[in-house]
Amino acid sequence: MSKIMEWIDARLPVTELIKSQATEYPTPKNLNYWWNFGSLALMVLIIMIATGLFLAMHYKPDALLAFNSVEHIMRDVNYGWLLRYMHANGATFFFVAVYIHILRGMYYGSYRAPREILWWIGIVIFFMLMGTAFMGYVLPWGQMSYWGAAVITNLMSAIPVVGEDLVVWIWGGFAVADPTLNRFFVLHFLLPLLVVGVVVVHLWALHAVHSNNPVGIDLHEGKDTLPFHPYFTIKDLYGMGVFLIVYCYFVFFAPNAFIEADNYIPADPMQTPAHIVPEWYFLPFYAILRAIDFLGAYSKLAGVVAMVLSIAILFILPFLDRSPVRSFRYRPLSKQLFWIFVVNAFVLGWVGYNPPDASLFHGAVPLILIGRVSTAIYFSYFVLLWLITALDIEKPRPVPKSL
Amino acid sequence: MRLIKTFLAACFAVTMVPMALHAASGAPQPPAQNWPHQGLFGTFDKASAKRGAQVAVEICMGCHSIGLVKFDQLRKLGFSEAEVKSLAEVQGRTKIDRMNGAMDATAAKDAFGIVPPDLSLITKARKGYEDYTYAILNGYLTDAETALVQKVMADKNISEQEALELQSALLINTDNKEHLKDKLERLTGGASYNKYFPGNFSAMPQPLSNGQINYADGTENSLKQLSHDVVTFLAWAAEPTMEERKSCLAKIFAGVRGGSSPPAEVWRQQPTKVFLLTLILV
Repeated sequence: MSKIMEWIDARLPVTELIKSQATEYPTPKNLNYWWNFGSLALMVLIIMIATGLFLAMHYKPDALLAFNSVEHIMRDVNYGWLLRYMHANGATFFFVAVYIHILRGMYYGSYRAPREILWWIGIVIFFMLMGTAFMGYVLPWGQMSYWGAAVITNLMSAIPVVGEDLVVWIWGGFAVADPTLNRFFVLHFLLPLLVVGVVVVHLWALHAVHSNNPVGIDLHEGKDTLPFHPYFTIKDLYGMGVFLIVYCYFVFFAPNAFIEADNYIPADPMQTPAHIVPEWYFLPFYAILRAIDFLGAYSKLAGVVAMVLSIAILFILPFLDRSPVRSFRYRPLSKQLFWIFVVNAFVLGWVGYNPPDASLFHGAVPLILIGRVSTAIYFSYFVLLWLITALDIEKPRPVPKSL
Repeated sequence: MRLIKTFLAACFAVTMVPMALHAASGAPQPPAQNWPHQGLFGTFDKASAKRGAQVAVEICMGCHSIGLVKFDQLRKLGFSEAEVKSLAEVQGRTKIDRMNGAMDATAAKDAFGIVPPDLSLITKARKGYEDYTYAILNGYLTDAETALVQKVMADKNISEQEALELQSALLINTDNKEHLKDKLERLTGGASYNKYFPGNFSAMPQPLSNGQINYADGTENSLKQLSHDVVTFLAWAAEPTMEERKSCLAKIFAGVRGGSSPPAEVWRQQPTKVFLLTLILV
């Protein structure tokens, strides 16, 4: 065995790579459980690709066959129901992991120098995930699939000059139809493989600058770090166990909890559902899109721009945050802004879930108003974070010199 | 810690509000029924599902299809091959056919103005699920309620007292008398009123009533029993693999408990091997 390894290592240093990048990779000894969610997201990615591969063997990307082929998977394919429910709920848990992963980065300042490129690659992955999830949701070809696809692709028509032609090009016709479904299937198959590639670059960038940590200071290798294995392999495995318990609960006992009932009705271009709602992980952005309705003919374009900007603004976060301290643990004002931002994201999600003409207290507070205020709060996080750090308004508490 | 608590409280509040918001508008919430197949380890009441299959084939399939199920698959509920054959013959089909009704789509559209929806997934495809389907089947006016409507419409005038009575009898969430009158006029014009259907008027005339068919096993054939049984059957038709799904984890646990995790000493001496082994097991 060792002779074979020697032979290989002389030609391709596998052992050295595993040692330096995995088993002996120096990892901050103070990482808390919020640092588990990167590996958890990777685990879900693997689950999604594995189940998706087998689903693709039985699925038919054809407007006349798609809905029934999903039911064929549910009923006739051995453990097809397991594949499909793992895949459908996997999307939900992918976004749970990724949202916590992003918020952890925001709270502990993981986007700060020298980790900007690592952070940017992460945002690129997030954009790719959203695209993949959106196109995946279209594939069962139920009512919500169809009308969700219609609403979202229609947004492209807001783009000046080329918008209308662009939508026709995306649809492959003059409405969401068979060509749209077919190409969405192809892209839904392709994108995750590209995501894997970008994840490799994400890990490369991580290993170049090493992990941030809850204290947010630069660490002394050896004194402040532990080898990744066995300390963090076991911690990651423990996290996976806990995460999988919750995931399995939904897969086996409440698999339809996140699936709109309407999506069990086959797509019908002639009948619009009463409420078109996207999947829960898009709701906050959907609320931002709808919040801008006061600009007349430009409302649609402005809404789309605001929606894209709400995520794209994360790209400049490393430059907005001017504090000398990375971790919000020592930054009282930033910490408060952060939690307002998080709670506000839930409010946005709730606004996005409800019909646009809904209101609270018998019409006294229209939901669209709450949506506008929440959208303002969402963006003001970034402005205020910049203000309090650039103008030295925030006085950070003392930060330990070492762990 | 305090922040986390505030955060959790906020999440809770945010998820509770939509329920309050939802209840205030639209059709009334279907009353919750007791379904043995719901819950963590619930299994289908096979006897009820068998009776429900009889209701579905003899009544529902007069107009609706249950096309994702084949007659032969009914044997999973405990029907014999001969019983399946005779059920299929009710709709002029053979046992290898899909459960499509005798009426074709064009004839149905002529008769009702709309193609009756396929029932294969009906308990999953409507909010309220089994409770909703059950409520629809029981949501038609009783004789007493029909008499009340006729009494009110006799003088073409709705008094305050009558408006209140109508609201509680028809489960209408409005005190607008014009609105009430519109509904009553459609009703007396022959349209079918349903308390739980959004908008109250569906194209479906009351499909089930007391004593409509006689059960092969002699069970009481009240409207409540017929609709409970047929919904149990439709829930099975919507997801025949449900029992397999719910029992799957228990089987895995039984298998895992056969082995045991490696002792701490092994962990210390052979961490890599234990790690790789665990990964493979995971």
